[in-house]
Amino acid sequence: MELVQMQKSLQDYTKSLFLDGVLDSQFLQLQQLQDESNPDFVSQVVTLFFQDSDRILNDLSLSLDQQVVDFKKVDPHVHQLKGSSSSIGAQRVKNACVVFRSFCEQQNVEGCHRCLQQVKQEYYLVKNRLETLFKLEQQIVASGGMIPAMELGF
Amino acid sequence: MTVEQQDCVALDQFPVGMRVLAVDDDQTCLRILESLLHRCQYHVTTTNQAQKALELLRENKNKFDLVISDVDMPDMDGFKLLELVGLEMDLPVIMLSAHSDPKYVMKGVTHGACDYLLKPVRIEELKNIWQHVVRKNRGSNNGDKKDGSGNEGVANSDQNNGRANRKRKDQYNEDEDEERDDNDDPSSQKKPRVVWTVELHKKFKFRLYLKRISGNQQAIMANSDLHFLQMSNGLDGFHHRPIPVGSGQFHGGAAAAGMRPFPPNNGILGRLNTPSGIGGVRNLSSPPSSGMFLQNPTDLGKFHHVSSLPLNHIDGGNILQGLPIPLEFDQLQTNNNKSIIAGNSMAFPSFPTSQQSSLPNNNNLLVLEGHPQASPSAFPGHQINKRLEHWSNAVSSSSSTLPPPGQNSNSLISHQFDASSSNYSIPFCDSTIPLNPALDHTNPRAFYRATDLDSNANVQPGVYYDSLQMRQSGNYGPTTDAMLSSNPKEGFTVGQQKLQSGFMGGEAGSLDDIVNSTMKQEQSQGDLSEGDLGYGGFSSLRTCI
Repeated sequence: MELVQMQKSLQDYTKSLFLDGVLDSQFLQLQQLQDESNPDFVSQVVTLFFQDSDRILNDLSLSLDQQVVDFKKVDPHVHQLKGSSSSIGAQRVKNACVVFRSFCEQQNVEGCHRCLQQVKQEYYLVKNRLETLFKLEQQIVASGGMIPAMELGF
Repeated sequence: MTVEQQDCVALDQFPVGMRVLAVDDDQTCLRILESLLHRCQYHVTTTNQAQKALELLRENKNKFDLVISDVDMPDMDGFKLLELVGLEMDLPVIMLSAHSDPKYVMKGVTHGACDYLLKPVRIEELKNIWQHVVRKNRGSNNGDKKDGSGNEGVANSDQNNGRANRKRKDQYNEDEDEERDDNDDPSSQKKPRVVWTVELHKKFKFRLYLKRISGNQQAIMANSDLHFLQMSNGLDGFHHRPIPVGSGQFHGGAAAAGMRPFPPNNGILGRLNTPSGIGGVRNLSSPPSSGMFLQNPTDLGKFHHVSSLPLNHIDGGNILQGLPIPLEFDQLQTNNNKSIIAGNSMAFPSFPTSQQSSLPNNNNLLVLEGHPQASPSAFPGHQINKRLEHWSNAVSSSSSTLPPPGQNSNSLISHQFDASSSNYSIPFCDSTIPLNPALDHTNPRAFYRATDLDSNANVQPGVYYDSLQMRQSGNYGPTTDAMLSSNPKEGFTVGQQKLQSGFMGGEAGSLDDIVNSTMKQEQSQGDLSEGDLGYGGFSSLRTCI
């Protein structure tokens, strides 16, 4: 594929993520923080996010599977996930966390289980999309091209 | 750039290079925060453990300018870290959280956070965080925290911590300078006063007020007491000491407030004197007053005891010791408007009539204070009032405007002192006004308002004076209130009240009432009121008037 085309594909792809609400403007901020002195910033941060989230989701699953659910443990996890997802711009994950927390407050186990599923779903979605995004970027860089700056026209 | 270089750059190009310590257990957020801060050109250190953060801070207090910390951390609650940092290092701390719940924000505020940011943090928000560093330093610097200059230093350091005392002191100092100019120009004084009075309500502000009033030395003395009281109230819960409170406040207020005018009569205790700018205060008799003033804001803690405090320099009696005078205060007022007002908060009792004459009203400053003789300040409140009055008087008339305190004031003062305690609050008022025989009635004369009396003299004190005036009428009690309210200087009065309250705070039962009443008015004003003796006295004053 030609470089130009790859770059175009990347742009379109990124745009679609925003339009779908998978990512929000916070992700753009991250991209803007990336520069020569910080060339892999976005991928580094996103990688950290994946690590943290995998762990949190795991802990959440365990907590909710207990006989007696300890909401005092569940809530902080969800809270943290909400914080980190909002920080990188994973909008839908964040929104799912908000709903999750309200069920926690109500101590609704059933509701929490459903929310957990929802959060996981959104999380895997954004993880998948971002990984694709990074792959596209790597291809462009490997072809000697520059990653085009994200246009905010949309 | 090496660290050293960076530091140098930082020094020159603040906020560039400002050293931030970022704490967050979430590594994603921490990494992002770090980058954002770098983008703002700050120097960043990160840690994901609160304990580690504390270690870093304790290791070298001067290593960082600002701390940003997440609220929810597993090893330590962010608010706890906030408290510790504020107490130990007195650095500005910004809280960070994904919680937008107002009660968390409130918690941050009450624990002393400079700001509360919500995640996700945006770079725009981080671009201005350096202002918190400047703010904190300003407060401290005023007090000479860094310089460690005398009193201020003490005050300043606490400033950031929001300790009442410290702040007052700083304010005091700051105000002093500001007030000074104002004092010189009575008409202009008014303005600042007004504004100031509003502020007075806040803890500091009151001090400033006192400062102004204390322009007179005497006032200073009183102030110190008041101030001390106030301060003590704030600080140490001085409260018990009626006088101290009042004086503390007063003192603080007067002095701090820029009562400046009171020249510490005898070099009143350090702080008092400072405000002084009060030159007007002419040391009435100084020693007694000095005792009072001593209260210097810095001494706040000391003030509590006003009486116990060294302030007593004055005759030993002056220090508000317990404000026995309060009642007398009323009396004194009439008599001594001048003298009493001066700030002799305590002096009142002491001075009794004789003093009046001795007290040059011109000082207005609290002629009372001036009374070396006496005024053991039984009435701290008095002193303050006096101070105010004197101060105003001094200010305006600075020396002559007030009708010779003569008998009136003296009598007033003496009365008040005699009455002591009961009126506590009033004396304050009274003294200020009545000092002069003429003053007795409504004349704001000399005292405080200087404007009234003499003329412009005390715009600020006016407020005070107003109350005083009221007192003059001899009503001291109820009248004052009325008068006070009527006073345009309201603001002033309010402040006065504060003073009074602070001043009076003490002991006098009646004074308390008065003060309370005045204080209530000022309630909002801030610290003074409530409970502080100073306030109490203050309010009393109003009533007195």
